[in-house]
Amino acid sequence: MRRAIQFRLNGASVEAQVAPHETLVEVLREEFGLFGARESCGQGLCGCCTVLVDGTAVSGCLYLAALAEGAHVQTVEGAAELDAVQEAFIERAAFQCGFCTPGFVLMTRQLLDEHPDPSEDEIRHYLSGNLCRCAAYPEIIEAVKLAARKRRQS
Amino acid sequence: MLKIGEEERGLSPFELAEPRSLREALALLGADGVRPLSGGTALMLMMKAGVLRPTRLVNLRRLGIDQIERGNGGELRVGAMTTLRALEKSPLLKEWPVIARTLRTLSNVRVRNVATVGGHLAHGDPHMDLPPLLSALGATVTIAGPKGERTTPVEALYAGYLETTLARNELITQLLVPAMGARRAAYLKCTTRSADDWPALGVAVVLDGRKTSIVVSAATDRPTRLASVEAAEGLRIESDLHGSAQYKKQLLRVYLARAIHEARHASH
Ligand SMILES: Cc1cc2nc3c(=O)[nH]c(=O)nc-3n(C[C@H](O)[C@H](O)[C@H](O)COP(=O)(O)OP(=O)(O)OC[C@H]3O[C@@H](n4cnc5c(N)ncnc54)[C@H](O)[C@@H]3O)c2cc1C
Ligand code: FES
Ligand code: FES
Repeated sequence: MRRAIQFRLNGASVEAQVAPHETLVEVLREEFGLFGARESCGQGLCGCCTVLVDGTAVSGCLYLAALAEGAHVQTVEGAAELDAVQEAFIERAAFQCGFCTPGFVLMTRQLLDEHPDPSEDEIRHYLSGNLCRCAAYPEIIEAVKLAARKRRQS
Repeated sequence: MLKIGEEERGLSPFELAEPRSLREALALLGADGVRPLSGGTALMLMMKAGVLRPTRLVNLRRLGIDQIERGNGGELRVGAMTTLRALEKSPLLKEWPVIARTLRTLSNVRVRNVATVGGHLAHGDPHMDLPPLLSALGATVTIAGPKGERTTPVEALYAGYLETTLARNELITQLLVPAMGARRAAYLKCTTRSADDWPALGVAVVLDGRKTSIVVSAATDRPTRLASVEAAEGLRIESDLHGSAQYKKQLLRVYLARAIHEARHASH
């Protein structure tokens, strides 16, 4: 049975008709036309579906949309302008096809919130649940380091 | 329109209950097709795979059982709805560094952000990391049911592959880990496909004076205590996607020695 739930989506108050078995990534795509979070493995392993719920990164493919009621949901589409992490990914060309990039960007933001100056080991460890099929890993690690510097400077 | 994989992916419909008290939650459980829902990470995988088609999920998030405290006897008390990530970051884990080390390499940050201690202990997958360690540390769980509470060792929770000794109308409400005292402990795992993969083998070792507790996981259908180091040779080991029984047998020889070495040199 569908029922209306209210939550904040990228800063705006929204409402959606949601059935209990629908996942957050399904609702974002089908109800709101937000395609940044996408389902790839569907098992919590790859990070392509990463979404922030009340500031915490979750796998949207394993998260029931109904549980987002009253929460603040943020996707990569959230910011009006590119942030330091996105700029760094572009400057370091940390992608090829870009399919994994929204997930990496959101995880990197959370990593830098927790560790403003992460070691390479911390970066690899924190991002181990994000897969890049194009294997842009060396560039991604450089981009995270650059993003950390940019954030500290601003 | 081509719809590849749609059938396998979409979940079949169920009702979602959000009780506000433990008593209310317990009253909603018990019937066929009803399951408690904590972080949902394991449930979602089972529902997606079609091995579980519940008619109702009972969400435990409003029960207020997510505190982490140090008890009067120096024990660690963790509410069942505490996320693995909240536990990992708790300053109290300074006294149980082996748990913090284990959590740091358990799956990935997003899973730990959502998965809970109660769901982790109730799932019964023998590849999970905390059950062997908590068993070796002598941890217990508080279980609430229609007739009241009972306490059971974590070690006694597992009956076989994905099978627990919990009744359908029971809930884990709290985990209790005894103080480390002078004990030293290590948990080592071997992942064969990627760093964050499910382990092919897990070995927990706790040294307490002359007493050694060894619990093996991932190679057996449930976390299994070894009466002695020599008992490793006679263990019934299972093959799975992560390695053959023969390979795991060799891994066990190597990892058991390493885990004992690490426990000896651990500060706790
Ligand atoms: C991609 C991925 C990789 C993973 N890799 C690892 C790994 O390497 N090592 C590891 O240890 N774990 C791993 N996990 C498992 C993860 O630890 C579990 O999914 C998680 O701990 C389950 O917690 P949950 O709160 O999400 O449980 P849920 O999915 O909510 O519940 C799990 C089971 O327990 C029941 N249940 C839930 N709460 C209670 C309760 N309080 N009392 C009684 N029954 C209850 C549910 O009905 C269900 O049967 C992985 C998970 C994913 C998704
Ligand atoms: S699609 Fe959700 S983690 Fe891969
Ligand atoms: S850039 Fe193609 S998957 Fe990462």
